[in-house]
Amino acid sequence: MLDISKLERRWLKYKIKGMLPYAAILAVIIMSIITFSFLMFNKTSTIPIITSKKEGIKIKNPVPTPSINDESSMLLEPSMQFLHSMSGSTPLIESIHTAPVPVVPIKTAPPLPQVQTETLPPIAKPLQAPVVKGKLTSIKRDDTAFDIHELEDRFKNNSNPNLGLYIARYHYDHANYTESYNYALKTNSINATMDESWLIFAKSLVRLGKEDQAKKTLQLYISNSNSQNAKNYLDTLNKESSK
Amino acid sequence: MESSLFSKPRDLFIDVVNARDYVQIDSVSHMYQSLKTSVQKPLKMILLYGRPGTGKSMLLHKLHHDLSKHQKVCMIDIPIIDEDDFLRVLAQKIYSYASREALTLTRFLELSSAVNFPVIPIILLDEAQLYSATLMEKIRLISDARALKFVITLHKTDNEDIIAKEHFQTRIWESIELQNASHEELKIYIQKKLLKANCFDVANMINENNIKLISKLTRGNYRESNKLMFALFSLYTWYEEHNPSKIKYNSLSKKYIEMAAIHTGLINA
Repeated sequence: MLDISKLERRWLKYKIKGMLPYAAILAVIIMSIITFSFLMFNKTSTIPIITSKKEGIKIKNPVPTPSINDESSMLLEPSMQFLHSMSGSTPLIESIHTAPVPVVPIKTAPPLPQVQTETLPPIAKPLQAPVVKGKLTSIKRDDTAFDIHELEDRFKNNSNPNLGLYIARYHYDHANYTESYNYALKTNSINATMDESWLIFAKSLVRLGKEDQAKKTLQLYISNSNSQNAKNYLDTLNKESSK
Repeated sequence: MESSLFSKPRDLFIDVVNARDYVQIDSVSHMYQSLKTSVQKPLKMILLYGRPGTGKSMLLHKLHHDLSKHQKVCMIDIPIIDEDDFLRVLAQKIYSYASREALTLTRFLELSSAVNFPVIPIILLDEAQLYSATLMEKIRLISDARALKFVITLHKTDNEDIIAKEHFQTRIWESIELQNASHEELKIYIQKKLLKANCFDVANMINENNIKLISKLTRGNYRESNKLMFALFSLYTWYEEHNPSKIKYNSLSKKYIEMAAIHTGLINA
């Protein structure tokens, strides 16, 4: 009925399709970084020329201005006289007046690094995440409909370790640590090879403030089962207590 | 196949309406209680509506199962489109009146006045949107004469607002809308179903992320969820038989859930 190989192929296609938007976004980001860095590199190569002049003059004028200033100081007086005599040579005056205008592009050059520093603070803004956390906790609905007592009664009757583990986990998730401890203990006594049950047992002990007992239990369990999960949890407990 | 861990959970999710498979969930049981109290009131018509797969038929079957112990209840789950047939079937089921001839409405009302029940019999009509306007008019007349009480279910679609329909706007005395399950309700639904059948080990495999994904894929629709779970456990059964090393028994695989969703058409791949 199920064509597994076909389904697996379809699933792979679906995953690739799902990854495409992320890949596209990543490509755009990489491209923008490359172009940005390329532009920055170009700008930094031109900046030394401007800064050297800035250092020398410390006035806003760019490269061409000094030569124009020199020329204007030299040429203005004769040209004005020429205008008075000839008339209609206004374009020349305009060109002289427009000469200082190139000051504007120089003003735009220095703010560039400032813009970069201004963009940095918004990265820190997403730290408003706690608001979302609050919402998440408020979403948690009551599980009153779940008749755990019925399951507990069934566990009393059938002593199924899987059911015991289920109940222990349920109580642990609902912060009933005494109950989770009890059911994990019962489950362990029925089936001593269930990793998760031992972990819930140890975790419940920690929550009940009996960390030493939890460590001893874990050590005992590790010596019997060599469980990696139990080892990891014991390590974290040891690290926390050493702090 | 019988020894498979997943074959039993798979069969639990076969989409069959059976009152014994009814799973009690907070909101649904609340609806059910209000439906039951509405039925006790001297109302003529009660409407149960909602999108396909929200559990209308299941609730109707459950109501039939519970009420039939105490009073005369007739369940018509497959619509009887022919008007004569409809009245004839009703007369036979309620008044045990068998007739091969066509039964007129007047004759039917005469029959109903001749037979006295301590409690007015209830007719449960599933998929009532399939009934014609004239037949609905007859149903209204029967309920107005207080011969029978009707509980009807209707599909709510995007295109038409059923409540606004002429026949239902003025005749309905109480209407109950069923909705898709929330994430938490779906979790309870799936787990209760598994626990009811003693599938504890499989119930232990289902974690919060699995439920979130299932809920996202099915939008909390019970029918879609059943289909998805059936496909999922079919996949697991296959893998357990042919490639057991691929199964992790501590949780349900996201990949297999997605594969099941592709198979059922919930994911377009």
